[in-house]
Formats: sequence, structure tokens, C-alpha cells
Amino acid sequence: MKPAVRKLALSAHLTVSVGWIGAVIAYLSLGFAAVSTDDTETVRAAWIAMEITGWFVLVPLAITSLLTGVLMALGTKWGLFRHYWVLISFFLTLFATVVLVLHMPTVTKTVVVAKQVEGAALEALGGDLFHPSIGLVILLIVQVLNIYKPQGMTRYGWRKEHSERRP
Amino acid sequence: MDPERTDVPPDRPEQAMPPPRPRWVKALGIVLALVVLAIVVMAVAGGEHGPGRHVPGSGSPAGQAPPAQQDS
Repeated sequence: MKPAVRKLALSAHLTVSVGWIGAVIAYLSLGFAAVSTDDTETVRAAWIAMEITGWFVLVPLAITSLLTGVLMALGTKWGLFRHYWVLISFFLTLFATVVLVLHMPTVTKTVVVAKQVEGAALEALGGDLFHPSIGLVILLIVQVLNIYKPQGMTRYGWRKEHSERRP
Repeated sequence: MDPERTDVPPDRPEQAMPPPRPRWVKALGIVLALVVLAIVVMAVAGGEHGPGRHVPGSGSPAGQAPPAQQDS
């Protein structure tokens, strides 16, 4: 990948990846708002906002982060499978994206219920804190790996490097 | 190569055998395996683990049917 293209791809990847972390934190704040208030309209508003944030911010950012990450890996000497930090980052990002996409329909169903119920039934819906909390931890692990890039080459990477070095 | 640069892979001396798996990979693997195990145990023991456990028709015994709307 040419340096100018690489920098553009890196800019895009950093923007959507860090943006994804910020969006998860915003989503969590809505969830906390839903569980910490007794006001019916606030709980419903929080759930509606969580649904909108999830589908229109989190899902696009997650998919774009995954795709730009793969592009960065394949377009640079790091590769996708040569170094452990890249490989682990890829699988953690893939896992987080898949879980997010599979989880959002449940959020949509919960919003439908939230608009109809009141009192204890509404309170029982909680604030959807479990999934985004685990997701945030995973994203922070990926971010640390991407910044520190700890050394460690996979067997595949070692074999590729040796075959490339042979005259 | 500038040792401060982190955007390119480090140069490696020739090695006859593949390098051993780094300790940090093993440690992270154990941590992630424990997290996955905890999630699986929660899912098996508690049924649905997300907000769906409160949603009627989701298959969870904890689901509650919403009251019929009485719009007039």
C-alpha cells in the first residue's frame, strides 16, 4: 500500500475504531440512565435512544472498524495472521461485531415492550448493561494491543518471513 | 530502522526454529477463556442473559406479557 493510501486507511480505521469506543460509552450512559430513574418517560426515552444509537452508530462503526482493520493488515507488512497482536485484535473485533449485530434485534424487541408496559414491568427491563460492558472491555483490549503492538510472531508469520528472506 | 517506529514490523535475527508463543498471548488467552466460560455458565444456569429475558415471547420463563393497550 502506498504511504498516502496507508495513512488515509489508518486515519479511517482510527476514526471509526475510537468512535466505536465512544459510542459504546454513550450507549452505556443511556443504560445507566434507564436503571437509575423511576420516571417512565425517561426509561422509555433511554431505550429508544439505545436502539437508535445501536443500529445507526454502533453497528456501522463496528463493521467499518472490522473492514478497515483487515484492509490495514493486508495492505501493510504486518499482515493479518503473521503477528499475534494483529490476529488477536482481528478475532476480538470480529467477535464483538458479530455479538453486536446478533444482540440489536433483542434491543428492538425490548423497545417495543418498553413503549407498552409501565411500573414494575418497565423497571424489570433493566438497562442492557451486560453486553456493552463486555464489549467495551474487549474494545479497550484491542486498542491497547494496537498501540503497544507487543512482539510475537505466529508460526505462519515466521514461515512466511523465512520464505521471503530466502534468495 | 528507527527503533521508535511502531508502524512496521521489527527486524528479526535469523532463527532456526519458530519462536515460542509469547507469555502475554498465553496470559490473555487464559483471561479470555475464563470470561467466555463465565458467560457460558451464566447463559446455561440463568437462561437468557440479555434484556431479552424480560421480553415476552422470547422463550424465557421470566418473560412477562405487556398489558393490553386501552387507547380511547
